[in-house]
Amino acid sequence: MARDLRTFLKHFLMVFLAIAMVLPFLWMLGASFKPNPEIAHVSLLPEHPQPANYAIVLKRAPDPHTGRLLELNFPKWYFNSFFVAAWVTSLQVMTSALAAFAFSRLTWRGRDTVFLLYLGTMMIPSLVLMLPNYQIMVKLGLVNSYVGLILPMAFSAFGTFLLRQFMIVLPRSYDEAAEMDGAGPLQVFLDIIMPLTRPGLITLAILTFLGNFQSFFWPLVMVKDESLRTLPIGLLLFQTDYGQQTELIMAATVMNIVPLIVLFVVMQKQLVSGIQLGGIKG
Amino acid sequence: MKPHRWPIALLFLGPNLLGFLVFTLVPVVLSFAGSFTNWSLRPAVPLHFAGWDNYARLFQDGNFYFYLYNTFYLMLALPFSIGGALVLAVLLHGRFSFGRPRRGFRLAAASGTIALMSSAALWLTGSPNLAYVVAALGFIATLGILFGPVAYRTVFYLPYFTAGAATILLWSQLYNPNFGLINQGIQHVAAAFGWRVDGPGWLTSTRSLLGFLPWPARFNNGGFGLGAREAIMLMGVWGAIGGNNMILFLAGLANVPPELHEAADMDGAGAWQRFRHVTWPQLAPTTFFIVVISVIGGLQGGFEQARLMTFGGPAGATTTLSYYIYQQGFERLDLGYGSAIAWVLFVLVFGLTLLQWRHRARDGSD
Repeated sequence: MARDLRTFLKHFLMVFLAIAMVLPFLWMLGASFKPNPEIAHVSLLPEHPQPANYAIVLKRAPDPHTGRLLELNFPKWYFNSFFVAAWVTSLQVMTSALAAFAFSRLTWRGRDTVFLLYLGTMMIPSLVLMLPNYQIMVKLGLVNSYVGLILPMAFSAFGTFLLRQFMIVLPRSYDEAAEMDGAGPLQVFLDIIMPLTRPGLITLAILTFLGNFQSFFWPLVMVKDESLRTLPIGLLLFQTDYGQQTELIMAATVMNIVPLIVLFVVMQKQLVSGIQLGGIKG
Repeated sequence: MKPHRWPIALLFLGPNLLGFLVFTLVPVVLSFAGSFTNWSLRPAVPLHFAGWDNYARLFQDGNFYFYLYNTFYLMLALPFSIGGALVLAVLLHGRFSFGRPRRGFRLAAASGTIALMSSAALWLTGSPNLAYVVAALGFIATLGILFGPVAYRTVFYLPYFTAGAATILLWSQLYNPNFGLINQGIQHVAAAFGWRVDGPGWLTSTRSLLGFLPWPARFNNGGFGLGAREAIMLMGVWGAIGGNNMILFLAGLANVPPELHEAADMDGAGAWQRFRHVTWPQLAPTTFFIVVISVIGGLQGGFEQARLMTFGGPAGATTTLSYYIYQQGFERLDLGYGSAIAWVLFVLVFGLTLLQWRHRARDGSD
């Protein structure tokens, strides 16, 4: 009985902490339905809910302050974020898996030296690289293009490192048995190593997708045209002075955050176990 | 095992190596070389070698010291987010089930029903806000009883997973001095005691918790209080406390051999002693990993917050080194100077990481 009481108290504490964590989200959801004058009320929920906020943000209704449609394009921003993140994810997982295979299952002269060089560059702040990378994109004529948004993110020392951690623990005998049967390295890679590295691939894919869907710095410097804005860069249009249109900002953030919550609840089991596996060995 | 010929290795390594050369190695060299020139994006400026000029300028730049101070000051939130992650992990690690599985199911149904009923009652009696919170409480409690720690872990991880431009915009509204949730809450609680308070200025204020110290005048310090830097730190702790750090601590806790705890139990150790002498030493590698990664991240941090919430203000109070590099490189188009700051940042990151490694090596040999 005493043990049950302790368990009960622990649930109580956890629910309390959990509410503290989600309170900002609860306020966001409520505020996104408030009419503008109600924003200043001490209240989580609107008295007179105004779903029209979403219609205004989605350009189905004019902004009541100006009577004009807002300069927003959510469908396009969603598409751009999704398109860029999906491309980066597929390319990065592919190049990282190939390189991780070369660093873990193949033996060649200088392997460990090159790998150390890779690891060493992970210490370099991304900010050191950003200024010259931008210059390189200018020279290649790729500023303000999808390719410019995708290509520099498609290669990752971190991804290579993470997948190598997953591959290096697989027993050598797998490769050797396959090679006895006459399989080449490509077959070993595709038929044996890739399927066994699945948890690592999924983890890297989720992390890469999320990171690029939410990426801020690189699109900020690369995007010049309205039509190339990704979701975070689109949200920049809401940066106005205090007291402007909180209810519209909240409708916009709800539309950004809710898909992520759904993605997380669906993927959380794989993600958590992948982070734990990669982190312990790392 | 015979070595593979390198053409085969190159076949696999090729794509990644090419990208690595073009987007990592070449930029590193360019940036390093560029920091010794007057490299500029302004078209009319001819490129010439400038020696140590950029670095000399940096060490005389009063703003640089202010922004360096800001960067370190914001990192004072790290012990709280790491410590908090450890506390959450320890809490989540324990037992959450009520004996037989059937009982848990019945309890979940009961708590869900009670929450729903009281929420409806509150709604009908004219307290919709309480009804809203109680409904959320009931939802989380029901999931918690049904799924145990996984449910709570998921909720704690949400702020970390959704972190980005949207959550930063959300918090800049929460911090609004007049109608933001935080100051409204403070005023509401104060009013219950019959006090009238204005609440801190948050993002509009240069005050800080170390503001009582006699900083130089160009640190634009507004005295003791809660200001923009504390606002960014609080948001950071909210976003990080249930994130990857907590997940890694949970993995570390699961790897502590149970025999150690049993042995400590036999010796009559209490809960705190068991944590101090068994769990904490066993977690040392995890803690070390988290601290190193957090310090590296912290030194490079503050860019998104500054760009989205404050533009580095008020009076430079939230400008960190990373935002300063952005300002110099992309706003003033002075890539040479921006690169020099970036390299000083690299030396800091590298130096601090090395220090931590050596510190650990010394501790380990004791």
